[in-house]
Amino acid sequence: MKQAIVEGNRVEAESLAREAVRLGLDLQETIEKGYVPGIKRVGELWENGEYFLPELITSAECMKTAMAVLQPELGKIGRTSAARGRIVIGTIEGDIHDIGKNLVAAMLQANGFEVHDLGADVKLERFLNKAEEVGADAVCLSALLTTTMLGQRRFIEMLKARNLAGRFKVLVGGAPVTRKWANEIGADGYAENAVAAVKLASDILKK
Amino acid sequence: MERVPKAVVTVLPYGIKVDARKNEPLAAVLERAGILLNTACGRKGVCGKCLVEVRAGRLSPLHEQEFRLFEKKKLERNQRLACLVRVGGNLTVGIPATSLVRETKILDSGPALKTALDPAVKKFFIDSVPADLASPVSFIDSLRAALKNSRLGVPLGLLAGLGDFLAGSGHGITAVVHRDREIIGLEPGDTRDALRGIAVDLGTTTLVVELVDLNTGKTVGVRTALNSQLKHGADVISRLASAYSSRENGEDLRRLVVDTLNDLIGGLLEKSGTAPESVYEIALAGNTAMNHLLLGIPVSSLAVSPFQAVFSCLEELRAAELGFMIHPQGKVYLAPNIRSFVGGDISAGLIASGLEDKKGNYLFVDLGTNGEIVLKTGGLWMATSTAAGPAFEGMNISCGLPAIAGAVASAGGRDELKLRTIGGLPPAGVCGTGLIDLVAFFLKRRELTVQGKILSPEGRLRITPGLALTQDDIRQIQLACAAVKSGMRLMLKEAGLAASDLDGLYIAGAFGRELNIRNTQAIGLLPRMDCDKVVFIGNSSLAGARLVLLNRGARNRVEALASRIRYLSLAKDPLFQEQFIEALEFGIWP
Repeated sequence: MKQAIVEGNRVEAESLAREAVRLGLDLQETIEKGYVPGIKRVGELWENGEYFLPELITSAECMKTAMAVLQPELGKIGRTSAARGRIVIGTIEGDIHDIGKNLVAAMLQANGFEVHDLGADVKLERFLNKAEEVGADAVCLSALLTTTMLGQRRFIEMLKARNLAGRFKVLVGGAPVTRKWANEIGADGYAENAVAAVKLASDILKK
Repeated sequence: MERVPKAVVTVLPYGIKVDARKNEPLAAVLERAGILLNTACGRKGVCGKCLVEVRAGRLSPLHEQEFRLFEKKKLERNQRLACLVRVGGNLTVGIPATSLVRETKILDSGPALKTALDPAVKKFFIDSVPADLASPVSFIDSLRAALKNSRLGVPLGLLAGLGDFLAGSGHGITAVVHRDREIIGLEPGDTRDALRGIAVDLGTTTLVVELVDLNTGKTVGVRTALNSQLKHGADVISRLASAYSSRENGEDLRRLVVDTLNDLIGGLLEKSGTAPESVYEIALAGNTAMNHLLLGIPVSSLAVSPFQAVFSCLEELRAAELGFMIHPQGKVYLAPNIRSFVGGDISAGLIASGLEDKKGNYLFVDLGTNGEIVLKTGGLWMATSTAAGPAFEGMNISCGLPAIAGAVASAGGRDELKLRTIGGLPPAGVCGTGLIDLVAFFLKRRELTVQGKILSPEGRLRITPGLALTQDDIRQIQLACAAVKSGMRLMLKEAGLAASDLDGLYIAGAFGRELNIRNTQAIGLLPRMDCDKVVFIGNSSLAGARLVLLNRGARNRVEALASRIRYLSLAKDPLFQEQFIEALEFGIWP
């Protein structure tokens, strides 16, 4: 299973998942010992420069396919795999770039987080409403333009103004975004890319 | 003494007139004029590449070879082969870009690219302005009568000095008229010979200013300088962000570019002994963001989605209003913006490229930071901007440099890597064309995989003992190539065309000369196609600015074109992400 994810073999990932169900295996274990090591390995390969965007996307898609088989089965026996955290993500208002954000969403989901992707050009209010609606642990704001990243600051200020600071973590990212900017605006965290985002979410949302 | 029958051959778009003998082979005449035709088959009338368009006049009768090409639809009604035809009498021929030997930079300097001269600014000499006691007509009306145009406007700025000026006009006066609508200047004596204008390429990184003689169409001088707005950011978005964040920044940005332009203009005028007050018009070609910043217009709408420009096409503005140091009543014309970030530099470039008159399918690509792509197919025009990023200009690359002395501009070799730098200096870094060559080289050597992974033991691609490409550098190049490639593919798809359907691919931008087409295709930046179909047109924005300066009809054409072009929004295309991700892989396509 790890192999299927690392190689981006969707057919194999899916058929192995079905096989696991058929054989009545402990599905929780299947996920944790079979598939998760795969996506972790993909993260490592990205970090050492071997894997690039296409490989990330393909592997994340494989995870998604496998999970689409396994999650419902877990649901049937009343054991939903506890998400490692609930995340609302989107590209900030006025900005339409979303490939990077899509990658982050895909990787977070592949790594066991519950992800609510609002898309691009998302108004600040909408982030807030969704976060409250689903009881999010973190809101991830992506911005690709130096003009739109100002919205990240406005979001944090909006939370303060409504006495909601600290209700959930605010994480920021995007090409022009830097750790310095994140600190400056009072964000809870910054990640440079999809793999780093998974690390960040894991660290920050440790329960 | 027997007189050899002579004829005059007028060559467009250069406006050159050449003396020729009747019956002289046209190719020889053109060669004498300095036009280097593509005579691939050695002037045998086989390849059809030396075709010229007959606009007027007489040539020898149709040659058998030409007839064959007509039948094969390789020649159209008014097209003839220069290598076979002979001069029959006075004639006018047009040389399409594709008939020239590729190396010739036809739109840069060289033969002044000009069309029929019809500038917006014209001078008229008035011998004397009669005064009749019986009917003391106002000064303006007597001027209008002398100019035979009763509707001419006169700006307030001219009125004050008008009386004194006419009183002292013993030797006649020269009236400067703009667009047959307004008298914008009056000069003592006959100054018709001194009519000059300015063409500007308002580039994001470099500004180019050209002084042009409006009577002959010749370029008198050219100067360039880095755009001092660079301190606000190297790319358009950073500058917009700066302007967006405060009015002071916006004003600073405006002032910086106007000051630099005035310096360049001033230098040109001084060197050529031209008085600033004798220059009455500036024509500018710049992208949308540059145009807005120049005019000091708020950029908030352009800086965020849906990225709307405030203006596209404008009537000429007053030089004094914008702060330009030419005649205060002088005019400034901006080539119209098309849509969003695709601006006047592209609309001007398209007019200069000659694509309007071409039938067939053509791609026009400006390989700079904004990576604009325009597709023409039949009567349909489409444009988009791919935001390729500055990798092609050497930025964000560890050993990257702009195309300056010391930059590796081309590279290759069989076993050993051979480098060529600009100016022949020792390699200090690599510029855009060099990057493309290097990627192609390492791919061939399998030290780089098509997925972009470096396989060499040291984890970098070694260029010289001091220079190497890192894994990050390769990723940057992959991203830039993918942007342009997916833009082109989506555009072709939208038009229902394949790359093989293209009749030509025009490349604009500083790249031009040094770009190795084969390597560019090998890495996948450009599609697989006949190298002969790729035409470098150099600084087409500048050429377009010059064109609209010299010919008012060109202004109507560029405006009509700008409003006609369909804008393709890549962002809105649900297929974009998939295409982009797929395009990250190096390799020939389709």
